[in-house]
Amino acid sequence: MARDSKTPTSKSGTTAVSLSVNGVDRKLVVGQHESIADVLRDRLDLRGTKIGCNSGECGACTVLLDGVAVCSCVTLAATVSESSVVTVEGLAREGELQELQQAFMEHGAFQCGFCTSGMLMSAYALLSQQRKPSDEAIRTALQGNICRCTGYVQILNAVRDAAARS
Amino acid sequence: MLYCAILRSPHAAADILNIDLTPALAVSGVVDAVTVDDFSGSRYVNYGPAYSDRHAMAKDKVRFYGEEVAAVAAESVQAAWLGVRAISIGYKEHAAAPTVEAALAAGAPDIHPRRDKLSSNVVQSVDVQLGDTAGAFDRAALVVEGDYEHGVVWPVCMETNAAVASFDRATGKLEVWCGTQAPFFVRKELAQVIGLELKNIIVRSVAIGGGFGGKSQAPEQIAIAALLSKRTGRPVKVVLSRDEEYIAGKSDHAKRMSLRTAVDAEGNILARAVDALVDNGAYTHMGPVYVSAVRQRTANLYRVGTAGIRAKLVYTNKLPGGSYRGMGAPGIIWAIESQIDEIAEKLNLDPVDYRLRIANQAGDVTPLGWKITSCGLSECLTKAAERIGWKDKKGKLPPYRGIGIASMIHPSGSVLYAEGNFSNIAIELHPDGRMTVFTQTADAGTWQNTVLAQLVAETLGVTMEGISVVHMDTELGPDDLGSAASRVTFVTGNAAIAAGKNLVSKLRERIASEWGIGADEVKYEAGVFSNARDKRRELTLPQAAQRFGSLRVEGRYEIGLERPDPITGYGNYAAAYAFGAQAVEVEVDRGTGHVTILNIASAQDVGRVINPTALEGQTYGGIMQGVGMALSEDVVFENGRPVNRSLINYRVPRIRDTPNISIDFIETADALGPFGAKAAGEPTINATVAAVANAVADAVGVRFHKLPITPEAVLAAIRKRNQQQPQLKPYLRAYNAEIATVRKLYPAMFPVMKKAGKYLAQPRPQVREFETAIANTLDDAIAQAAATEGSRFLGGGTDLLPGIRQGVYGPSKLISYRGVPGVREIVTTDTAVRVGAAVTINGLINDELILEKFPGLTKGASLIATSQIRNRATVAGDLCQEKRCWFFRSATPCYRFSGPACPCYAVLGDNRHHSILGAGRCAAPCVADLAPMLSCLGAEVVTAGSGTTRRIPVEQLYVWAGETVLNPAELITSIEIPKPQARSAFHYEKYARWQGDFAEASAAVRLVGTAKRIEEASIVLGGVAPKPA
Repeated sequence: MARDSKTPTSKSGTTAVSLSVNGVDRKLVVGQHESIADVLRDRLDLRGTKIGCNSGECGACTVLLDGVAVCSCVTLAATVSESSVVTVEGLAREGELQELQQAFMEHGAFQCGFCTSGMLMSAYALLSQQRKPSDEAIRTALQGNICRCTGYVQILNAVRDAAARS
Repeated sequence: MLYCAILRSPHAAADILNIDLTPALAVSGVVDAVTVDDFSGSRYVNYGPAYSDRHAMAKDKVRFYGEEVAAVAAESVQAAWLGVRAISIGYKEHAAAPTVEAALAAGAPDIHPRRDKLSSNVVQSVDVQLGDTAGAFDRAALVVEGDYEHGVVWPVCMETNAAVASFDRATGKLEVWCGTQAPFFVRKELAQVIGLELKNIIVRSVAIGGGFGGKSQAPEQIAIAALLSKRTGRPVKVVLSRDEEYIAGKSDHAKRMSLRTAVDAEGNILARAVDALVDNGAYTHMGPVYVSAVRQRTANLYRVGTAGIRAKLVYTNKLPGGSYRGMGAPGIIWAIESQIDEIAEKLNLDPVDYRLRIANQAGDVTPLGWKITSCGLSECLTKAAERIGWKDKKGKLPPYRGIGIASMIHPSGSVLYAEGNFSNIAIELHPDGRMTVFTQTADAGTWQNTVLAQLVAETLGVTMEGISVVHMDTELGPDDLGSAASRVTFVTGNAAIAAGKNLVSKLRERIASEWGIGADEVKYEAGVFSNARDKRRELTLPQAAQRFGSLRVEGRYEIGLERPDPITGYGNYAAAYAFGAQAVEVEVDRGTGHVTILNIASAQDVGRVINPTALEGQTYGGIMQGVGMALSEDVVFENGRPVNRSLINYRVPRIRDTPNISIDFIETADALGPFGAKAAGEPTINATVAAVANAVADAVGVRFHKLPITPEAVLAAIRKRNQQQPQLKPYLRAYNAEIATVRKLYPAMFPVMKKAGKYLAQPRPQVREFETAIANTLDDAIAQAAATEGSRFLGGGTDLLPGIRQGVYGPSKLISYRGVPGVREIVTTDTAVRVGAAVTINGLINDELILEKFPGLTKGASLIATSQIRNRATVAGDLCQEKRCWFFRSATPCYRFSGPACPCYAVLGDNRHHSILGAGRCAAPCVADLAPMLSCLGAEVVTAGSGTTRRIPVEQLYVWAGETVLNPAELITSIEIPKPQARSAFHYEKYARWQGDFAEASAAVRLVGTAKRIEEASIVLGGVAPKPA
């Protein structure tokens, strides 16, 4: 492939980071090329965070980093030590679904479920900042999350409903 | 676990001269490597023995860019990729035939050996007259005709294809976990290419991240992983990257259709005739079905007197077509429905009234032999028209607004495959009264598992809480074709009902023998067995389960239909037919040609709704996929190689594209359907494309003959209609002299440069691993950059990291300096506002000082990218981001990617997103939104290098698009924006395909003066030239 150069290159390097992941302090040694998504999935076994494009284009990997939604696939873990990360696994408390999750269930706001964690995290970030977001604000917050199954209608309804309930 | 990586062809057509795997095997961690020669089985069966043309991997020659050539299994993903890159391989490239025209041209190379009696590159040729078509055209009062064309669409499942294969040497069994819609085909094909017995291959259950047909065949990487597992005796995992998914996953099929419709004076359709070319891609998977889709709609949609079908399926050197929702129906329906509108117009009939007049009806037998047993098309048309407000809107909307309507027909429970006429399902009743349903179909997100549980529950008269469904597992579930062709609810659903009935009768027998009565005397109702004559004897289903222990029953459903005639396609193809109509209202921007969909009304004859929430979801989803197909989705090829390989410029609908959608289900309770249900989920895409196209035609008064209906196409049509010539005459303008010259010379230069470039191209180092350092002082950052060659400064990483994965950047080290004091602050100085380099875009937008001084900047910055990206991307990173030219980003060996000996692919290629001003040897435009904004505001970039600092006005920052004047060890510390003058105003306007996309064109405008008199004006354009202009 033209994308592959003839000369294999391998640089390894690791960095120690401390992260608060879903409220739990974690001390980890991560590869310097590893994204937060890689670390969550491969080192912490938190596989709710999905990698759909690995380029920051689809939003499936969205997590909260220090309270704001980011694409964890294009954020290097080695650069965010001392930060807090919230993933979809951090939403439910003691087995009870978070309001947004409940609303997604009730509205059928997912089909294959692959985009759902990212959708939830983007919507959660929005509702953490604005209790009663306008439709415009919901669409702005979710514009970075692609869903191929639902056509977004039930997702919009679920977020509206969760906002109305809170 | 071993990890598999695949070496793919960099050519659309070439001979493989030699492959040497030894260097790969020498890479540390690599355990095994294979080529096609290591497969002991034969070719894939795919569409059947007559069409079997694909080996497990490329054999002797490659036929499309991305084709599997060799594969490596290693202890880590990194080692597998290093192994792949170490493989030594020699190719002899040939001229490719990447399009149907090229493949059918005289002297075109044979992509495969010629098939019996067929000319070069023709896979299948159909020429069928179902009646006296010629006679019908002769006596027609009106004939409309037209050519219609659409390109290739990707399914874009959110989860890329992935598989784990595990071969157990002790038992000889191969287990496979993979996201597939059809475990049946996976097994069948693996048995074929690996040479294992079917009984030794087990597909297991997994969750599937989307299907839409894209996972309905047996993807090649599964067999590759399986072979590697068989050879190593270890489990092997393969996960395709999004890029691999694009270049080697299956796509929809492109088509060209010449369609003619003959009607009498009343508009009754006497005949339809189509002449179609279907682009098969390099190998045959589902191409013949796409030919069949053209035939089926031509002959069956609306009441048609007779029909003639000519079609050729053609090999081309590009990615093989597979399946995608609708299986080709949306394209041919678009052609048919365009002509229905034209006929209505010519006969002076309302498009809805006319459609009602010719709508299919129950009891009809179509020219192709379809027996329509239930049909709610008229009701669908009436309902969709009512919901969209047809009567109030048709002909009464303001200019550039329009409405359109279209219908669809779709087989339900069809006899597509020889093996596809039946379905089996198993129910296991556990001693605790719970039940598990086992099916080999696969729920890729359609909620079919829920539907199957519902059908079992309904049959048994119990609630569905105690019923779970295990899908896909070929050991636990009995044979079934899988989830494709709109068949699960109908075919497998009927099997589920049969299984439920079998469970009851089996229990009835056992209870009867225990109660000492005849089985027919045991009554069963709502979960309770009772004795009609002895009211005291009763047994609930859970009690029965407890008494008799585990019980497993199977249910089977067969579609009792003959397969259609193989030559003509004549025959009753499906057990039932679903119908639907959709109406669409659009608004067109007359300045950009951008189409915005305002309202969609869908009314669909689904027989009977089994699960309303699931079906609504399917309908919304299908409609939005149709919107993508109608307006934006199209794979752009450069000599057979897809270049728009990103979710930015392969544009699937996003949440802002979703309009108001109303859904109505028309229930016509089909006699054969499970509880009356018919196919419903897949065909929701079928009418959308046509309805959108008809609405756009209504809005602008021009009919489109090519999909997708892009803004460029709409704009060109509006201009043509208004008899306007484009205003631009680049050759008359001095500043475009260079581009005019280049354009003129390019047809001659391009092939020479392409050839020269092949030998002189400078490869970019592609890295998968690199160092990352954190600098806490500027000096440290600069010193580290100076010390390590190939290091780069890291901002938010939102451009750098994707760029590394695309092979655009190959850094050895990334240096983050966001911890340096001050770089994340926004402060005022005496004369300026100083924005730290590492301030994020959202940091800029949310800053009150910026809002106070430059509200236009706040607003303009909010048009950058998506919220996740704005939360990470930095101000300096936005300014320094690499160019976004799709040739460059897809690693095409172009002038800027591979060096000065190479050509620019945009000059002659698809350059719709490229520079229109001042492009020289590279046509990539500057897409950094902050560049025109900050340049217009007179901002300066403040940099720091070894012992020096510089102040660079933003307009002088760029050498070319994505290339700055900064030295490798020089970083941006801040951007200083002069405080606004009194009586000044600033605004940024941007046109992008979707909000968050890069600018097609943007303008930053700063004015000084009063409402009456502008004293000073500064305008800087973005997205149209290599530098802010």
